[in-house]
Amino acid sequence: MAYLLNQLLTRSAERYPQRPAIWARGRSLTYRELEERSNQLGNLLRERGLRKGDRVGLFFPKAVESVVAMFGVLKAGGVYVALDPGAPAQRVEYIIQNCGMRGLVTNAAKLAELNPQATPSVEFSVLTDPKPAETAGNQIPWPALASFPGSHPPQPFQPTTLDLAYIIYTSGSTGRPKGVMLTHQNALTFIQWCADEFRVRPEDHLSNHAPLHFDLSVFDVYNAIEAGACTHMIPEDVQLFPASLGRFIATQEISIWYSVPSALVFLILHGKLSSLDLSKLRIILFAGEVFPMKYLRQLAAMVPHAALYNLYGPTETNVCTYYRVDRATLESLDRLPIGRACANTEVFAVDDSDGVIREPGREGELYVRGPCVTPGYWADLEKTHKMVVPNRFQPHLEEKAYRTGDLVRLRADGDYDFLGRRDNQIKSRGYRIELGEIESVLLAHPDVREAAVVALPDEEIGARLRAFVASHNGAALGHAALTEHCASRLPQYMIPERIDLRDVLPKTSTGKIDRVKLASESAAR
Amino acid sequence: MQDTQSTKDQIRQWVQETAERKGIGTVTDEESLTENGVIDSLAIFRLVSFLEDTFGVRIADEEIVNDNFKSVDDIDRLVQSKLARQV
Repeated sequence: MAYLLNQLLTRSAERYPQRPAIWARGRSLTYRELEERSNQLGNLLRERGLRKGDRVGLFFPKAVESVVAMFGVLKAGGVYVALDPGAPAQRVEYIIQNCGMRGLVTNAAKLAELNPQATPSVEFSVLTDPKPAETAGNQIPWPALASFPGSHPPQPFQPTTLDLAYIIYTSGSTGRPKGVMLTHQNALTFIQWCADEFRVRPEDHLSNHAPLHFDLSVFDVYNAIEAGACTHMIPEDVQLFPASLGRFIATQEISIWYSVPSALVFLILHGKLSSLDLSKLRIILFAGEVFPMKYLRQLAAMVPHAALYNLYGPTETNVCTYYRVDRATLESLDRLPIGRACANTEVFAVDDSDGVIREPGREGELYVRGPCVTPGYWADLEKTHKMVVPNRFQPHLEEKAYRTGDLVRLRADGDYDFLGRRDNQIKSRGYRIELGEIESVLLAHPDVREAAVVALPDEEIGARLRAFVASHNGAALGHAALTEHCASRLPQYMIPERIDLRDVLPKTSTGKIDRVKLASESAAR
Repeated sequence: MQDTQSTKDQIRQWVQETAERKGIGTVTDEESLTENGVIDSLAIFRLVSFLEDTFGVRIADEEIVNDNFKSVDDIDRLVQSKLARQV
């Protein structure tokens, strides 16, 4: 049994040295090449003084080097943080400083976007550019890897399965992203369950649709490597065009697909799936948002031979429940269940009177316990104590459970249904968004007095964002200036599609901004 | 010639408005719209609807590919070729 993520690679490299492990932008690496390159990078990082638990950021568009970097950092005992290559510099700089990254694996163009004064913790950068231009003293060109030993990784610092492996930053309600810490054990609990449930084989071809800063990619990368299979990172110019994406699935002979439902809806509507040979596609997994039943039925008809799974779980636990779609009942289902707990995981729902729900039909907040649960948020004990709470239902064990904030209902068959959120978090295109974070950013504009952001339900992408803003003393607010203000602080998927300027925002009887009224007004138009 | 000019102008205007909404600066006619982020998975279908409504052309799903939508120049070429076939 592997207890470290990097052991998955080392084992597969021994068994399948010549098989392709990763494919991206027309280039691929075999298991042996991936093992050797990541050993070299690990040795380089160690020589640069990387110590156990040190954070290293990955900041460049997806490439085979992304996976080399993930394993190189882990082998050096470090913790990697995948940064969104499309995010504004201010947000990336905040994350770099929030977790005190000592190093970056990046490229010259992305590095140039960052202000070195805003990222003083960064001591060195490894540049992945194939043909390095001149590099400054603290920049290491990729070809320098060749001078480090590839036959063995650096001497480990007594690693355990409880050490951190990676941090994923998600939207935070207070206006700043928060870093979810994940250990080797957290990730392996999920990977082991997937390996047993989906029987991934060396002959499988997995797709990698999700960005690396999104936890859906954990399955794509690690389960392929666990099995000796190959993951195909989907190029941007294919991902954006559904007809190209459909052809990609056929020509790359993808056998296991995992994405947010909105990506599948996009394929169902415009991907010409029925004209393609998708006979190799044996499993379709989706997670991150609710799959509209109408489209799921269409998908089931387009790929009659594939097993379809609805996976559920926040970044803090990765996937914790699953539901295998039963084609016999698909027509009669009115909503798609999130199912029941994965192996080595317990989920339970707690009602308002603090009791665990045992009778079908009752609703409560879903809690998760087991080795999948995050130890907490980076450098934010307050938030950690709020969300990762003592499990009072097992008082003899000093253990924690994660409060998901998701409302669920227990079904008669023992599966759970997802009903919605307890708070202001929403999903758009599978991205988790705290409306409060967008409101905080708008309020940070000097001329903004009041701001509210509402999410309008959308069948294809989950939700569309609409902002309402009132200015100080009637200051003339420019729509373009406000958008630019948001765009320099928020990732694109969090920028409101429309910003309406109002003299005042409507209030409820208790004096709060009436978001329900704003939402219904927007929906009516 | 007048028509050619105005088709491209209208495409350019749509692209520039979208770029501004996303906080992206001025976009040139040759620049890759997928790399600068003007075109994402939502914008692509809004753009297709805009082209179909404005120029009265029909764009099939299989034509919605990178080669036809990479830049303002490429989009213009696609629309021009469709308009030419209609005459």
